[in-house]
Amino acid sequence: MHGRVKLKSTAQQEEEKRKEREKKLKAFVSTRDAVLKKRSAGEQDEEALHLTQLLLSSNPDIATLWNYRREVLLHLETLREKDEVQKLYECELHFIEVCLKVNPKSYGCWHHRTWVNTRLPRPDWTRELGLCDRCLGLDERNFHCWDYRRTVVKESGVSVEQDLEFTERLIGSNFSNYSSWHYRSTLLPRLRPPPPPDSAPDTSPAPSASPQVHSHRVCEEQLLKEYELAHNAFFTDPNDQSAWFYYRWLLGRAEREEMISCVYISREGERVSVAFSKPVHALAVGLMLVLDGQPQRVEWRCAHPRFRHSPVWLCDLPPGSISDMSNEHNLTVHWTEKHTHRDCALYTGCAESWCRDSATDQELFRSELSVEKSSVLQAELESCNQLLELEPQNKWCLLTIILLMRALDPLGHEKETLAHFQSLKEVDPMRSSYYSDLCSKFLIENTILKMEYAEVRVFSLSNKNLTTLCHLDQLLLVTHINLSSNQLVRLPPQFAMLQCLEVLEADDNAIESLEGLYHLPKLEEVSLKNNHICKLSDLESLASCIKLARLDLRGNPVHKTANIESEISQLLPLVTALSL
Amino acid sequence: MGTQVKDVIIKPDSPNTLLLDKHADYIAAYGSKKDDYEYTLSEYLRMSGIYWGLTVMDLMGQLSRMNREEIIDFIKSCQHDCGGISASIGHDPHLLYTLSAVQILSLYDCINVIDVDKVVDYVRGLQQEDGSFAGDKWGEIDTRFSFCAVATLALLGKMDAIKMDKAVEFVLSCMNFDGGFGCRPGSESHAGQIYCCTGFLSVTGQLHQVNADLLGWWLCERQLPSGGLNGRPEKLPDVCYSWWVLASLKIIGRIHWIDKAKLRNFILACQDEETGGFADRPGDMVDPFHTLFGVAGLSLLGDEQIKPVNPVFCMPEDVLQRIGLQPDLLS
Ligand SMILES: [Zn+2]
Repeated sequence: MHGRVKLKSTAQQEEEKRKEREKKLKAFVSTRDAVLKKRSAGEQDEEALHLTQLLLSSNPDIATLWNYRREVLLHLETLREKDEVQKLYECELHFIEVCLKVNPKSYGCWHHRTWVNTRLPRPDWTRELGLCDRCLGLDERNFHCWDYRRTVVKESGVSVEQDLEFTERLIGSNFSNYSSWHYRSTLLPRLRPPPPPDSAPDTSPAPSASPQVHSHRVCEEQLLKEYELAHNAFFTDPNDQSAWFYYRWLLGRAEREEMISCVYISREGERVSVAFSKPVHALAVGLMLVLDGQPQRVEWRCAHPRFRHSPVWLCDLPPGSISDMSNEHNLTVHWTEKHTHRDCALYTGCAESWCRDSATDQELFRSELSVEKSSVLQAELESCNQLLELEPQNKWCLLTIILLMRALDPLGHEKETLAHFQSLKEVDPMRSSYYSDLCSKFLIENTILKMEYAEVRVFSLSNKNLTTLCHLDQLLLVTHINLSSNQLVRLPPQFAMLQCLEVLEADDNAIESLEGLYHLPKLEEVSLKNNHICKLSDLESLASCIKLARLDLRGNPVHKTANIESEISQLLPLVTALSL
Repeated sequence: MGTQVKDVIIKPDSPNTLLLDKHADYIAAYGSKKDDYEYTLSEYLRMSGIYWGLTVMDLMGQLSRMNREEIIDFIKSCQHDCGGISASIGHDPHLLYTLSAVQILSLYDCINVIDVDKVVDYVRGLQQEDGSFAGDKWGEIDTRFSFCAVATLALLGKMDAIKMDKAVEFVLSCMNFDGGFGCRPGSESHAGQIYCCTGFLSVTGQLHQVNADLLGWWLCERQLPSGGLNGRPEKLPDVCYSWWVLASLKIIGRIHWIDKAKLRNFILACQDEETGGFADRPGDMVDPFHTLFGVAGLSLLGDEQIKPVNPVFCMPEDVLQRIGLQPDLLS
């Protein structure tokens, strides 16, 4: 079905083709019928092998025929001596090789080859490795062959070091070999891995030991070599994406610690909010709440019903348990699955309290940024800058420089970062939405950092061309937010994680959806001037914000709705100051 | 110096409007010549072929042109004692064709013409210790089959039949350095496989485990200057990969990261103005497989002449609404 070019042909050519096909079809159908007849008669003999061979050698994708062959082979096995069985299966391997020449990407062929190896009395792994080498020599991107090769490597005892050399050779002969770079990413974490933290001798790696999860295990010395290998590749051919993808993985390999990042408690409403370092399902992870030494039965809920997994979970304490201002309380939230917890004290006379780590840049966004020594990163940045001088239009280089600058000093490099994003959108307009979203994310991270340093609960990010909102779980304690004059189209469900929010300004955007303004218990004032709110139903979620008193909707299409004022006062009876 | 970008050139006289009537005629006629060479040779995947044809007809509002009774009888005759369903009569049952059959019967709202309990038993029986799924009793393991298993069970409303935690663990173990997924742990990322794995995680409510920003970047980098998408770096664009990449982006909430107008242009250029149908690339031979994915892709891009398609099941949204299935999508 792939790559068959449609050719113009004459009537005579058509007729010849038709005749030839008719002949082929006839032969195919008669052989197929003979095979089916034999199989339903339960015949498992040499002739069955011969007939299926005729069909499979030109149509290796007919899975049922391979199945029949396996049935026949298993039967013949029982009739023959060991040496004959060896011969039988060697013949089979030879036949598969012929089929692979016809179609090197046939799932059925490769699976059958794997199966034959499990039946061979004396499998020859060296020969199989040779077959893989030849096959990858013809097509270095054939993932079927790479997959088969991994099985062979495992059986034949090729070491990780030897395998790394193998990929280096392939990369050396052609940098643009994504398959080899990929394979390296799976090998590196297996290279002399440091002992696991709780060095139990039987900690066999779980199947989840993928490069995504365990990427941080790459040792430093090897990393420097990898940087160099990637440099060689992209200095030779700066437009080859393979090495750049690999390099970005090397830079961002750190992993965020799993923890309870914040606990917030409010006397009003007697409510607790808990933020985690990753989305969790509160019921599944064993969350336990202890108030003044007493475990409490509470019902955990997500900030928004759209989510089953969320980084923020809420619960109400039993009525009367913390409402008296003159009492002091101590709260502990346990994340039993991860053996971690966080305490929070609520002192006499305080209406609210919270406990969290004062977040620094490295901790906060460590899942994206490397914790590599800054001298190394500085050197990397310098060489990328050199390359950019030679190739000022190179998008891969521009993006990588942005990432390096963020790893080194996100706030110090903010201006340059914005300029590079601008260039990226110009040289690669097809992906401008991606760059806009990524830039928005970085600006939000920077604003969170600035807010941290200033120790305030005001988040202000207006007039910055924001196209998306993210990291909203980090804004759990924010009381005032200003997002005016951006390009936002929605306040997403995640916005409901801003449990302390009192004032929202989001004028002059393109907001059509207010889904995230949902059960925000302290929200009093919302300004949404000049947005794209069209229907009364778009405002429905606001009804769940019980303190909302001031709402500014001037400059939205919704004002054209008939009887809009009375409709809104019916929907939001508590809003006393409405501007339309 | 410098790699030549592998891509195609779209000729100025390529089709640039959607030829829906021609496509409907093409699919309606396909299979009417049952002794045709191409048709006979594709017998080993007939059940999927019927699913492609029926789904694209339904998306175009032309399902009634297909022979419902004949198809239902055919499916009934393809269910085996083990509960699994084969591509055709005389072929062996397999998860791929079991899913296709269940999809077809869901389109026709008559799932009970087959023995549903036995289908569930068949799917359950193929789950391995490590949570993975074999495609059939011969033991080939692939994340495609994990998707087939949960998609089949979801359509049957029997998701609790398998060990879900293990199934999820296996799929996550196939996640790669680029955020994508391959066939088995350690296999290179591939758009078709990514579609299966993000679809799997959507159906099982585990999409929060995806690194959506990283994966989304890799996926949007599949778009080539012609507007078409490839399935892996340095490969040619293709209508079917366009669907797999696009559907994956939709599932992880990042569909706006590609240039929609350019992709639409590419897909339209893959139509055959004479015969109807879509090919993998402009100027190639058409087939029902690429015709479905061309039309479904245009639907995801928002073409209002086509019914909305669900990115996870590649079926019309109205069918899934009727069943009451609403797989998660990231926002
Ligand atoms: Zn294709």
